[in-house]
Amino acid sequence: MARRARRPFAGEHVSTEAVVSAIKESGSNRTPLRIAGRSTWLDAGRPVRADKTLSLRDDSGVVSYVPGDLTLTVRAGTTLDEIGRVTGEHDQWLPLDPYGSNDGTIGATIATASAGPLASSFGFPRDLLLGLEFVNGRGDVVRGGGKVVKNVAGFDLSRLLTGSWGTLGVITEVTLRLYARPKVDRTFVVKLRGTEKQVTGLLRAFRGAPIAPFAMELLNATSARALSLDDNPVCLIRLGGNAAAVDAQIKAIATVVKVDEVADAMWSQLRNLENGADDTIRIAALPVQFVATSAAMLKDEMPGIFSYVNIHRGVMRIFTSPQALTVAAGIPDGRTSVDLRVSSENPGEGVVVYEKLPAEVWPIVSPTVISDSLSQGIKKAYDPHGILNPGILGD
Amino acid sequence: MTQPTRAPTLAHTPPTRSAIAERLAEIVGERHVLSRPSELLVYNSDGLPGYRRQPRLAVFPGTREETIAVVRLLADEGLPFVPRGAGTGLSGGALADDIVVIGLHRLKKIISLDVENRRATVEPGVVNLRLNKHVAPHSLLYAPDPSSEAACTIGGNVAENAGGPHCLKYGVTLNHVLAMTVVLPSGEVVELGSKVGERDGYDLRGAFIGSEGCFGLALDITVKLMVKPQTVRTLLADFTSVDQAAHVTSAIIASGIVPAALEFMDGPTIRVVEDSIYAAGYPRDAEAILLIELDGLDAGVSADLEAVRRICLDGGARNVKVARDDAERMKLWQGRKKAFGAMGRLAPHLIVQDAVIPRTRLPDILATIRAISEKYGVVVCNVFHAGDGNLHPNIAYSADDPAESERVHKAMTEIMRACIDAGGSITGEHGVGLDKMGYMESIFSESSLNAMCELRAVFDPERRSNPGKVVPVHACKEWHAVPGGRLRVSM
Ligand SMILES: Cc1cc2nc3c(=O)[nH]c(=O)nc-3n(C[C@H](O)[C@H](O)[C@H](O)COP(=O)(O)OP(=O)(O)OC[C@H]3O[C@@H](n4cnc5c(N)ncnc54)[C@H](O)[C@@H]3O)c2cc1C
Repeated sequence: MARRARRPFAGEHVSTEAVVSAIKESGSNRTPLRIAGRSTWLDAGRPVRADKTLSLRDDSGVVSYVPGDLTLTVRAGTTLDEIGRVTGEHDQWLPLDPYGSNDGTIGATIATASAGPLASSFGFPRDLLLGLEFVNGRGDVVRGGGKVVKNVAGFDLSRLLTGSWGTLGVITEVTLRLYARPKVDRTFVVKLRGTEKQVTGLLRAFRGAPIAPFAMELLNATSARALSLDDNPVCLIRLGGNAAAVDAQIKAIATVVKVDEVADAMWSQLRNLENGADDTIRIAALPVQFVATSAAMLKDEMPGIFSYVNIHRGVMRIFTSPQALTVAAGIPDGRTSVDLRVSSENPGEGVVVYEKLPAEVWPIVSPTVISDSLSQGIKKAYDPHGILNPGILGD
Repeated sequence: MTQPTRAPTLAHTPPTRSAIAERLAEIVGERHVLSRPSELLVYNSDGLPGYRRQPRLAVFPGTREETIAVVRLLADEGLPFVPRGAGTGLSGGALADDIVVIGLHRLKKIISLDVENRRATVEPGVVNLRLNKHVAPHSLLYAPDPSSEAACTIGGNVAENAGGPHCLKYGVTLNHVLAMTVVLPSGEVVELGSKVGERDGYDLRGAFIGSEGCFGLALDITVKLMVKPQTVRTLLADFTSVDQAAHVTSAIIASGIVPAALEFMDGPTIRVVEDSIYAAGYPRDAEAILLIELDGLDAGVSADLEAVRRICLDGGARNVKVARDDAERMKLWQGRKKAFGAMGRLAPHLIVQDAVIPRTRLPDILATIRAISEKYGVVVCNVFHAGDGNLHPNIAYSADDPAESERVHKAMTEIMRACIDAGGSITGEHGVGLDKMGYMESIFSESSLNAMCELRAVFDPERRSNPGKVVPVHACKEWHAVPGGRLRVSM
């Protein structure tokens, strides 16, 4: 292709062009690409059949940030840490805390739709994303959404790309919704001792209490021990807002059970627990049913297995160090004991998502998540040569 | 399945209008098919003034099975159609130009309500307000609250990704829909999203929301419900200048307090409302008012209320009045929610414009709008979701007066241009429909529009569902591959 003089349109970054030419080259000689951010979570996906890696790690930085608008546009390679630093200077934040760490890039976070404890109050990546730029498998530069907080112009390509794991396009830039940092942001721990029935009762009481926590996660004893919190399961609660609101909530909890304040750093430690894990499974069920199931799960625990549950969203994550889960929970058969418990109580109501597994296990438990005809059609339209992360979501 | 066996037709002979009407009647009953032009008059417009399109036929299925059978019959015949909810849409999305309208207002069952898990599954014809009345006894609510909530349908909300005053804090339709069942234009029925939690795989639910009827018909929708906030407080701040109110809006947003709603009404709007039966007691001599609602836990709300009151007074508010009880709150809201209706008294037609700007640009864009209105000699009434930067500059006029129409049209075009130049969007909640297609190329590149066409082509390869809307046809590279003749079949 003859190189024309570069005439960037407003906001275009030079490296979108680099992505375009990499993709065009791969398209013409049919060499599949592995798309990578900073490669902190690379092995999470199913095995990718690729000859080359296209890394976005150097394509980072702020494109535009007007604090008064509470929106931020950054290049895809910008890390969550960097976003935290830039927005923190203006007492703002992106309330997105995917499990793992803040070393990952925002592009990969959106591409994998990764979220963490804060999602129960601030939403998922799909809820925080206002617009994006990506390069599809033909090398076309496409923009979806925009830079304002409300927008229904055109079909929603931003939501389509979120969670598509790089298979529909390489995300090069994103615009996000920010929030002002709360005046007060404190973390508390509640120790869950007592019988299973007592714990279940307590969790139900939390659900009905006049509290609106930023995050609330239930940790099994293994996780609690790893964070030096207790030898029993605990509940970590993050309360934020103005001082009056936070105080009132602490009081409301204290009427039910004893609470202790712990360091904020507990959250990053919790998120970091997963970094060493080989397997991570996410199980979603309905919140109420989950409260019951999870209390049981927390008690009768399998050795070496970490788990936590978001009781507001009804999402449990379980993970483990090398191989233990595979053996303990029988993953090769496509079932975990937790999975069985959820689904036998309420057939058909649970959703099990495998987030990270050893490469050889993927084809057994979850060969593909894009086999339906709509997904196949979209994949074909956006990546006709099949060069973007082939295999990462199955075929 | 109620789908009748198909009478053999000769290949390439398009069925006549009456033949199709008869077969539709076999599915839904004769009473629920309209084919006489006089009967169809009601369906030749929606909430967007100045546009009329006469449908060929209108069919009103009463059950999910009937709806699927209707879509399958039209698929077999290659006939295009337009889904229609309550027809309150403001971008012409429900207009059918000589094709079939599938009206969904009879599908109004609330299929299930799960109080403990705070979700409900509804048919698409359920009206927002009815869902809210249904769940209110359980202290629950469905957050998206378009000002048309007394009439518009959840199906229409999904198609438009509707918003409303309280979307500032709680998000738009997209943020409240968990799953839906959709009948694709081919007649295939698919489940999108999950009632239980986030799945992996492509977010097809996200892609469908806001697809403006172009990706098929939503047959049922599972939505999240919220627990009613413990406390709700509503404030009215009035100002002698638009500019002050705009700056106060920005200051509240920047303070980090997220009000449940932050609505703006300018002087012309205030006076129109106060002259109408919806008079809410707004000060007639104010040049702007802000209607601010705070909700949440008692203790937190009181503190925020004080902070917001301070910001308003520091920013030049003459008065800040806090509603004392629910009756006062409702009255303050009534004026806001019925403002469009009140404007209807000014002239036979009303353009309700919809655009979004970055929130810091509010003061200067409002000044620009004023300058444009003076230049063209039109009265612009601004009543909008200020907290989101979602403007609604409205102009009452007579569409039958060509000279006036021309001035109004020019003024609106300049206003839209100013919003686009400010880095905004051409629509925040009303959709592109027919009305805004001309602006799509000014905010999206050719390849972005093409990517939208490709997405649409996956859901609707023959482009029979709401044809000719949202993305201009010439922007679709593959357009010519489609057998164009099928789009306009004689009936
Ligand atoms: C006075 C007034 C105030 C308004 N205020 C607001 C507001 O605050 N916020 C806001 O967002 N909007 C507002 N609107 C616009 C409008 O009410 C919304 O867009 C609403 O969601 C449309 O619902 P409807 O049932 O009337 O849809 P219709 O007008 O019947 O249809 C709208 C679009 O949806 C498609 N459609 C309808 N049902 C389905 C279905 N089941 N499956 C697939 N496609 C379907 C149609 O084809 C069409 O493209 C207002 C309108 C009026 C008249």
